[in-house]
Amino acid sequence: MSDLSTGQILAQVFLDTIGYWWVIIPTIFLGMIVGGIPGFSAANTIIILLPLTLAMDLETGIVFMVTLYCAARMGAGIPAILVNIPGTAGAAATPLDGYPMTRSGRGQQALAMSFVASSIGGLLTTVIALATMPILARVGFYMHSVEMIVVMLFGISLIASIAASDMLKGLIAGFFGLMIGSIGTDVVYATPRGTFGFLELYDGVPLIPALVGLFAVSEAFLMIERRTILDDSDIARPKPSWEATFEGAWIALSRWWHIVWTSIIGLIIGVIPGAGAAIASFVAYQQSKTFSKTPEKYGTGHPEGLIAPESANNGVTSGTLVPLLVLGIPGGATAAIMLVVLQFKGVGFGPSLFERAPEVGYGMFMAMAIAYLIMTVTILPLSRYMSRITTIPTIYLAPIIISFTLVGGFVPREYMFDMWLALGFGVIGYVARRTGYHVAAILIGVILGPLLERYFLLALRKSGGDVSTLFSSNIGNVLWVLLVITIMVPIWQSWRRRRQAEARAA
Amino acid sequence: MADGNRRERRAHAGGELVIPVAAVAFTLYYFSTIWNSPWTAQVGAFLVGGLLLAFCAVFFARVAIDYRAGEADLGVANLLSWDDWYCGRVGLLATTVGYVWFVEDLGFTLTTFLFLFLSMAILNRLRRLGTCFAVSGVMALGGWALFIWAFDTRFPSGWFEQTMRGLTG
Repeated sequence: MSDLSTGQILAQVFLDTIGYWWVIIPTIFLGMIVGGIPGFSAANTIIILLPLTLAMDLETGIVFMVTLYCAARMGAGIPAILVNIPGTAGAAATPLDGYPMTRSGRGQQALAMSFVASSIGGLLTTVIALATMPILARVGFYMHSVEMIVVMLFGISLIASIAASDMLKGLIAGFFGLMIGSIGTDVVYATPRGTFGFLELYDGVPLIPALVGLFAVSEAFLMIERRTILDDSDIARPKPSWEATFEGAWIALSRWWHIVWTSIIGLIIGVIPGAGAAIASFVAYQQSKTFSKTPEKYGTGHPEGLIAPESANNGVTSGTLVPLLVLGIPGGATAAIMLVVLQFKGVGFGPSLFERAPEVGYGMFMAMAIAYLIMTVTILPLSRYMSRITTIPTIYLAPIIISFTLVGGFVPREYMFDMWLALGFGVIGYVARRTGYHVAAILIGVILGPLLERYFLLALRKSGGDVSTLFSSNIGNVLWVLLVITIMVPIWQSWRRRRQAEARAA
Repeated sequence: MADGNRRERRAHAGGELVIPVAAVAFTLYYFSTIWNSPWTAQVGAFLVGGLLLAFCAVFFARVAIDYRAGEADLGVANLLSWDDWYCGRVGLLATTVGYVWFVEDLGFTLTTFLFLFLSMAILNRLRRLGTCFAVSGVMALGGWALFIWAFDTRFPSGWFEQTMRGLTG
């Protein structure tokens, strides 16, 4: 292949990869299943199926792992939209607007929107990543602890944004989450903090039990008040139809620019090792709301509130491959496992990979692009059938959700303690929902709290405890300014709307 | 409408106090665990915890003002009521605790079947027991087939899983 031009290599790799359709299609369905069940993910499915993955030849293994990764990411949004249960932390912002759409009988449109946004976002960022890899690979070098603190604060500022109806309750929920996220040993001296004496909490609060409890268990306990997931006030329940699928797809396509810029947010955050899909989706949702002309519609079933996190978390998938391939640094857990598998097969990573083994370097991106293309045509029609879950009586659905998600909480670490923890978080989530506190705000705190503290401590340690280090880098200062703008814009918009309303009333 | 909701929500401020009270209790406990720790263990927690205590203090003050103005009582009807008993929520909570309690000994499949059957029977008010039995059986066996037999996931194992492992090799 070394005598061929890049274009010819890409064409050859495209043709080779599309020949693996028989791997891609079943893996898409597998990925959708494991992505949709909390506790399962592409990462631990690759681990579970490691004997199979290692037995595959190199190209088949790459296609399998990459497709599973993309499909799991997309699959995590399905339960988030239909039953308010994100399959992974990366889909935690999806139910904010996806579930209200389902409750109002627009679940099928929401699914179609999510699939289109995910596919386009994933496909677009794959192409961008391929074209700009040398530049993107350097992003990780510029993102030090100070810059990462500001990125985390972008995500945390969503707490205030989603709690707009009662800011004080939103702040209490978010900061309570941040405190819960601080449980565990500190990163410098490993001092145990707030662990109640449980060794299982020394590594911090595991994310999946928190996700399962706050969203799945609490939702199951609440949904039994209704006959089905749909609002009981809905007299005319919409019947699944192809029109609804096309309508959802069209709503997403008509917001193509929204998909583009939110997926690029995901791509950039995905390139940063240790950031990940949860941060990307929170930041994208927050930015989408900040710069929307109708921010008041967010949280009520607004299409853009669904499109933003789904585009962003699929943008992360291609982003995480960039540092993996160019630098040999995995951008996330799944990329780390891919690294191990590919190294086992003798693949050496680094800038020369694309010259030494273009079928691996370009092949991973091509597999991702083709997986997204095939997903669009295989999964989109299924939205019609998937949305029927909303018509299952809750007396059957709620116990099924509880049992399967609680066991999902057990899977990542295989501690019985984690099932009790998930139940505990379920009680917190139930109380929070019944009394007007937003569980998403608590979860944002639990996810981002430990990361924020880690980078904060690293920054202070490097500077010898000098707090002014937070404003010591040019990129960091630019990000600080953008953060201030992000926080101030909604306040200014709200003030302007109030003034206009007063003027009209006068 | 909004005012009506607000009055309704504030009518039972006792329920709304649960999360802030839990947050304050947890924060104070957390502080007690880091009191003699190095500054690296303290700095983030004191910053976040201090703000959380301040927010909770403002919230308590807000509730106190509403209470004195007669706009709120300390009832918990928005959190606990007889409806929780009638709709089967209390029963579902009991079966859920039982599920987590017994799953380690009885294994995933058997405990899931028992949990699903009992929970569905309670939520159905002991009607349609045949449907509950069939749905529970299909879901428990489907879960076993997918997660344990096909994926070889290390779910809690008990009599059923060990017997089936012997039968399927």
